[in-house]
Order: sequence, then structure tokens, then C-alpha cells
Amino acid sequence: MDYYLNLINTIGIHTLLGLSAYVLLLTGQLSMAQAGFFAVGAYSASVLTVIFGWSILPAIGLAMLITGFLAFLVGFPALRVRGLMLVVATLAFGEFVRLFFHNFRWRVTQDGVEVGPDGTMGFSEIRYFAEHGWTSWEVASLIWIFVIIVMALIWWADQTRSGAVLRAVGEDELAAGTVGIDVTVVKVAAMTAGGVIAGLGGSLYAHQITMLDHHAFTVLLATFAIAYPILGGVSNVFGTLVAVIFIQGLLVEGLRFLGDWRMLLFGALIVVVMNLKPRGLFDSQTLRWIKNVLRLRLSRRLS
Amino acid sequence: MDDFWFEFVEITQSVGDGFLFGSTYALIGIGFTLIFGAMGKLNIAYAATAIAGAYSSLAVFMLFDVSLVIIFIVSAICSAILGYLVYLACFRFIPVHNHLAALMASVGGLFFIDEGIVHATRGSPLNFPSMFSEAYFEVGPYGIRGDLLFVFFIGLISTGVLLYVLFRTRLGLATRAVAQQDVAARLCGMSIHSTNSTTFAVAGLLGGIAGAMTAAAVGILSPVMMLPLTIKGLIVTVIGGLGSIPGAIIAGLFVGSFENVVMYFRGIDERDMYVVALLFIFLVFRPNGLFGKTITRD
Amino acid sequence: MIRKGVEKMNKFTKLAGIAVLAVTVAMPLAASAGDRSVKVLGWGAKSGPLKSFGVNSEAALRSAIAQINAAGGVKLGDGSSAPLEVVSYEDSACKKDQNIAILRKTASTTDAIVGMGATCSGSCQAMFGVLQKKIGDASDSGVQMPILSDTCIRPGLAKISEWAFRNVPNEVAMYDQLFAWLRSENPGVKTFSGGTETDQGHSFITHTAIIVQAAVRHGFEWVGPSVPELGPDVKQGMKELQAAAKTQHWLMGDTNYSVQVRKIKKQDPDMILVSSHPFSACGFLKEMKRQKVNQKLLVGLTSSASQETLNGCMSAAEGLIIPTGFAPITPEAVSANEIVSKAGGFLDLHSAAAWENAYLVKTAVEKAGISATSDTVAEDRRKFRDALASISGTAGLIGPVTRDGATGEASKPYVYVQVVNGEWKVIHDPR
Repeated sequence: MDYYLNLINTIGIHTLLGLSAYVLLLTGQLSMAQAGFFAVGAYSASVLTVIFGWSILPAIGLAMLITGFLAFLVGFPALRVRGLMLVVATLAFGEFVRLFFHNFRWRVTQDGVEVGPDGTMGFSEIRYFAEHGWTSWEVASLIWIFVIIVMALIWWADQTRSGAVLRAVGEDELAAGTVGIDVTVVKVAAMTAGGVIAGLGGSLYAHQITMLDHHAFTVLLATFAIAYPILGGVSNVFGTLVAVIFIQGLLVEGLRFLGDWRMLLFGALIVVVMNLKPRGLFDSQTLRWIKNVLRLRLSRRLS
Repeated sequence: MDDFWFEFVEITQSVGDGFLFGSTYALIGIGFTLIFGAMGKLNIAYAATAIAGAYSSLAVFMLFDVSLVIIFIVSAICSAILGYLVYLACFRFIPVHNHLAALMASVGGLFFIDEGIVHATRGSPLNFPSMFSEAYFEVGPYGIRGDLLFVFFIGLISTGVLLYVLFRTRLGLATRAVAQQDVAARLCGMSIHSTNSTTFAVAGLLGGIAGAMTAAAVGILSPVMMLPLTIKGLIVTVIGGLGSIPGAIIAGLFVGSFENVVMYFRGIDERDMYVVALLFIFLVFRPNGLFGKTITRD
Repeated sequence: MIRKGVEKMNKFTKLAGIAVLAVTVAMPLAASAGDRSVKVLGWGAKSGPLKSFGVNSEAALRSAIAQINAAGGVKLGDGSSAPLEVVSYEDSACKKDQNIAILRKTASTTDAIVGMGATCSGSCQAMFGVLQKKIGDASDSGVQMPILSDTCIRPGLAKISEWAFRNVPNEVAMYDQLFAWLRSENPGVKTFSGGTETDQGHSFITHTAIIVQAAVRHGFEWVGPSVPELGPDVKQGMKELQAAAKTQHWLMGDTNYSVQVRKIKKQDPDMILVSSHPFSACGFLKEMKRQKVNQKLLVGLTSSASQETLNGCMSAAEGLIIPTGFAPITPEAVSANEIVSKAGGFLDLHSAAAWENAYLVKTAVEKAGISATSDTVAEDRRKFRDALASISGTAGLIGPVTRDGATGEASKPYVYVQVVNGEWKVIHDPR
């Protein structure tokens, strides 16, 4: 059970990572910086629980604030670049964050043992959950309560005017501007929201994995972050969840029995999926199919 | 005074070395920028196909012990073939206006090629033969690597050939037409797909040469080279301006020199941070890069 | 018509995808039906740039266990014999989250009494942090399963948890003796300098905390950038050295070493240290050859005492001296080498530890007296761990290995090898 809960936790954390990119993708900003924000959240929360001995929830809260603030600052210069330039700019930002943590050192001695981030040697023994006797169920509940809240918030926003505004900016900035939408506010707000969500994901990730170093936050993770909403489609939040289950559940864990052929299949399957469903696994076509199936069920039951 | 002269020599030496090495970045940048200029899409698998081309040429070398010139040619051809395959797998069948799906498909392509190379080589680094590896000219207090000079000249020649093809041949005309206005090009009877696939193949040729050049310059091939080369290539492309070939060349040479100078002064831990900061400075003051086309509504 | 076909295909793909997902995730790792066997589960990097580590370790582990089983297997607590069984050897790709997933999968869905492997130090660090820290601490909800690692070599990892054990060489001792020997054999060599890869934890800390200090301890003079705090004790002056030498270090994926080599060349050292893994070590060595650097001695990092270095730069690495925990110099080592080669792997200091671990597991199992049934997994793991911690010595492939139960670490015999005519030759055997 422990193993399946761990997998569910990984899926939850990666869903948060994906959702942080999803929010930005809605406004037309493809951001490779989410892994960087993820890292900031991870290190912040860990420093708080390990070095300052904070409890987990306040640590996560402050980490989210710190990351959100950083994302807010990044949001403004990000306005100046569009499209693929933004991709490269955010990729570079992500690399900058990773290099920062490659050099980041903050060591304190607790009970005669040195703890804290130690540059390239990493930040070990982030053991809040184990030290406080959290069971796997409790950890999973914590993570998934957060995931469900975030998904619900985004879903709800999507049903209201906010969602329409976000998507309007994503579709056509010029047109949105002419209708009176303040594009700057929307894009910066999206970047901040994305940062907060990534910070949340990072905080949980750090405590699940108990050790951080700069190798965890490379371009690869940034690629995963955008892969989830792209593979899942931007129609709705469930697409991202489905994509995370597909990649982490099926490709990474489920295909383990393939041994070392698994990673080869990984790339190939992504290519295949994008060719078959370019608008994402959970696009409007799929939604329609699901609605049809449900309607059929319902009408069968009624008749 | 002696100290100052010594420092000056060291700095200019670093600049010079970086400049020559930067020609590898320039070629990768040209490849990215070609595809972006022609199709408005980003092919993230590009540097991977370049390195894969170098691996194929190494395989040929190990099997047939051919001359080193043949290695460059084989690398270019293999990379062109791979480039075409990447086009087929990741760009051909995806709706033209769907940039994201093509980008993600090329990411899948990158993973696939990377892992394929790991499988074939068991991840081991492999010795790569270099031409003129013994050539080292001492000009006064400076030492100039003969093989890097060679690499630089191959880069110049390739760029020259590319520019000739682009601006003096029908193929180049077709590529530029499709890049400017693909609807009008289609109305004129041009096949978008064959033009684009040719663009990929041509970019692949360049990439293969760049891959072989980089491998020859370092002397070793390893899958760990792929990601850093991709990132540097992208940074060079953006600094030079997306879609601009002269921009990519100048940016490549400049980034090469810049990172070496930073290395000399600030050391390894800050080197890449400065390169990223350089990119940000460009994005702030010249968001379209050195020679970027002004992005118009289309 | 085509669109309908594509739509139908999409539906099919969806159903197929869900079916595959359900089946594969729910599928427990292959369990062996039939008689009792003592199960172990191994993992390592079988994909990615470190693929050779996983391939070699798997070949070594499986071969060793086959030998043990051919000789009668292991004795259980009730006196009967049972074979050792490798449930599977998974690919952890050196990713921390995958390592932890495999660890939890092994602990909660299989009867394996010990997990063997991990390959990358960072992954071990993460994994060991997930384990219960102190035995019997009821307030600690960490995983309770022993891990015995063959390749995570970064100093001091096993003390993270009492369930963590390693069979890796003690680099402090190895380099100390190496420089003592080099000092006595090479009186004309006085000065030294060198560099390392700063984004690889093992290389970085071993170079700046252990190797440089060992050289200083034996009378070699550091002629790199001045570091007054540098001294003969482990870690003495480490931080200052890291800061001062940053313009002659590199990253593990670097392609340009010209600035670094030029700096070191200007220092004119008699001995040069290249503390990094094969790719960047080769890059650096090739640049040294290009710039015609003349050094009298060349010393490398333990992890580069492998075939990969020869694959990458056979001629540039000529003369490189590295201490290693394995060379085919005893009958056991030679025969093990042959067996593992037939199984498709190489024996080097990393994978040889995997071979030795199989025999260590046998010793510990027999000392623990386990039952090897599905109901007794938790007790078996605990007994096994206690037995493993109480073992003070075992036979290694090139000599006896002493173990320290308190820290979970090993002290292994070593030899010094050098690249001579494109091959590794043992140049000194201090055993």
C-alpha cells in the first residue's frame, strides 16, 4: 500500500507542477520557469522545517508566499517577450535558479550534526513526515487535499468570468486589450498564481523525497511541467491530471517491467500521443465522447 | 606593468579560444533559427540530431577506418536524415498552427534520441578522432589551437554555402517564400511539406557538421553533451534574433568568448549564471535579439 | 471516413491505455511461486548516461547469486537450505523519486529482505532519508527495510539511517596511502595542483576535502591559488579551497577546458589531480595534451578507474594513477571477472562491490537465522539488519573487508592502477 500511496503522492505533486504551467498556458504564456519556482518552494519550505523547526503547514504557507512573490517579480519582465522567446527566457530563468541552488549554502549545527543546504552536496534529511510519525495515508491526504483545492479553484475560476478573461488573453492579446481587459494585470496575475502553485508543489515534493539538490530541478523537470498541460490539453484541469497519470503512472512506473527499454518507449510514446491527439489527451473531442457515453448511460437508465 | 600585460594576454587568449569554440554554438544556433524562421516552430530535438549525427560518423569511423574528412560528411548526412525523420515524426502530421503539440513531440524526439544513444553506447563516453589535434601554433605569448581554427573555417564555409543556397537557389527561394507567407506560397503551387522537410534536412546537414565539430573540438562524445548544447544553442538563437542567420553567427561567437572570459574572472560556479544574465540583458534592451525581425501580427 | 477511423482509433487508444495502466500498475513485482527462497531486490541506473553502472552491477549481482545457489544456497533459521533469489533488478535511472518509489515498492509489495543498489550518491542520500532513522523508534514512520549499496560512494552516507549499509571503498584511507607511496617513490615530485567537477557531489567533496589534504599531508606543496587554511587534515581548508580554485574547476558536462588547463599549466605543478568522472576527466586530459602540459604525475578519481575512461581517452589518460577497490589480481577476482564478463558486464570497483554484497548477504542471512516466509518478512528484515550490523569482516574479492556496524560502512583493500599502453595495470599492491 505504501508503494501505491507513494505513487499517488508523486502524481499529486506533479499535478501541482503541471497546473502551475497550465494557468500560464491559458494566458498564452508557455513558461519553462515553473521548475525554478518549484525549486524555490522546495528549498524554502525545507529550510523552514529543518533549520527553523517550523511545523509543516506554516512552512508550506510561507514557501508559497515567497515563491509567489518571486513569480510576481518575474511576471513583469516576462511581459516584454512573446512566444518562443518567452520559452527560452523562462528556460534560462529556470537554469539561473538551478545554478543559484548549486551554490546555495546554509549550514547550521543541530544536536552536533550539520544540516541544511550545502551547495552541490545538496540538502539532506528533510524528514519532517517521518520524524513526526506521519503515516503514508496522512501524507497522501495532505497532498491530495491541496491538489483537490487547487484543481477546484481553477475549475471554478474557469466557469466564471475570470476564466474567460484568462483565455481571452491567451487567444488574442490585442483583441482582449481592445475589449478593456488589462492584459498586464492578467498576465502578471497568472504568473503569480502559477508561482504559488509551483511553490506549493515544491514544498510537498521536498518533504516526500527528503533530499534536494540542483540535479532535481533541471530543464528536464521544466519540460515535464509544460508537458502535462500540453499533453493533457487546455480544455480543463482534468487534462493535466490525466497527462500526469499517463506519464508518471503509466510510462514511468507502469512500464517498469520493460527494464531498460522503458525510457526508449517514453520518448516514442510522447511523439505518438502528440501526433494522435495534438490538442491533448483530454481535449474537447474526449469531453464530448465522455458526455455522449454518460448521456447514453443516463438515457438507458431512464428508458 | 608586467602583471597587467600578463593579465591582458590571458584575457585575450580566453576570448580567442572562446571565439573559435563559439563557432560550434553558432552552427547550432543557425539550425534552430532556420527552422524557426521557416516554420515558426521550435525543434528541441535539433542539438540531439546533431550529436546523433556525430555518433553515426564515429560508428562509421570505427567500422571502416575512413579519413577524417569523410567523418564530417557522414555526420552531416546522418544528421540530415535524422532531421528529416524528426520532421516526419514530430511536425509533418501535426496541424500547422499547433505550435505546442509540435514542440512537445520534438521533446519526445529528444528523449528518444538521447536514450537511443545511451542504449547503443551503454552511456560510455567515446573517443572522437580530431583533425589537426596536434596542431598548436604559438604566436608570441599566445597559443592558438589548430583544430579550433579548422573548426572555425568549416563553420564559415558551411554558413557561406547555406547563405548561397538560401539566396541564390530555387530551393532557398521556396524556403523563404514559405517562411514569409505560407498561404501565398501554397497558392503559387509550392508544396509546404516538401519545402519544410527540405529545410529540416538542410538544418540537419548543418547540425551534423556542428555535432562533428564539437565532438572533434572536445575529443569525446557523450550523451551528457546534448542538454547543455541545446540550452546554449537556444540562448544563442534568441540573442541573435529568432530567424536571423547573421544574428545566430555573431551571437554564437560572442557567447563563446563571453563565457570564457567570465570563466577566467569569476570561475566555474558563476559562469553559466552570467550567460543567463547576458540573455536577460538582451531581452530587456533588445527583445527581438540582435537582428530579429520585428514580430508582426499574422 | 478517415476522421471516423481516427476517432475510433482514439477511442481504442483510450481504452487500451486505461487497460494497460490498470494492469501494469496493479501488477506486483514478479513473485516466485513454489519453495521458500531468500529474496533480494536490486536496482541501479539502467538508463541514462550512467547506464553502465546498472548493467555491470546487475550482471555482478546475478552472477554471484547464481554461484551461491550452485554451491547450495543459504541456511535458514530452521537449518534447511534455500536459494537466494533476485526478485528483479529495476532501473532507477539515478532519479531520486524513482529510487524512492522502487524502495517503497520493494518494502511494501515484495518479500525481499534487503534492497541492493542505487548507483548515484544523491539517490542514496534521498533513499536513506526515507528509512527509519533509529531502530525501534516508534515515533519515526520511516521505512523499515535494510539497504545494502554497492556504488553510492559519497563520504558518510550510511550514517543517515541505521537501516543503511554500504560496501564502498574508504577514500580517505585510499588516498592517504596513495600519496604516502607516491611520496616515497617519487622524491623529485614536489608541487601539485589540479581541478574537479563542481556540480558532481562525490567528485567535488572528495577532491576538496580528502584528496588535496592527503597530498598536503604527505609533503606535496599546493601551487594552485593560495589557500592559507589548507592543511593535512580531512576537510581542512575545504571551503577556502573551493572558493579560491573556482577558475580551474569545471562542470561534468563541459566541452571547453582551455581556461582551466592554461591556469594550471602556468602554475607548473609536478603533479596534477583530475578529480572527475570519465567524460570531463577525458575532456580535461585531452586539453592538457593539446596544450602540451608536462607533468610528472597524474592522479585521478576512484570512479574513473573503469573501462569508460579508456573508451573516452586512452592515449590522453596515459599515466593516470587511481586507487581502486578492484583489479583481477587474486584467483577469486579473476574467476569472478570471467563469470561476470560472460553475463554481459564489467567488473570494476563499483560492480565488484555488488558481487561481494551477494556473499555478504549470504553471511548475514545465515547469521540472522531467518524464516523466509511471507508472514515473517518484517521480522526477517529486522534480524537481517541486526546480523549485518554485527558483522565485523567478510571476504572481499581482493582481500578481507572490515565492516563497522555502527556506521554501516566498510573498509576495503585497495590497489593502485595506472593507464599503461591503453590498459589499466596494477602498479602497486599495498595489501
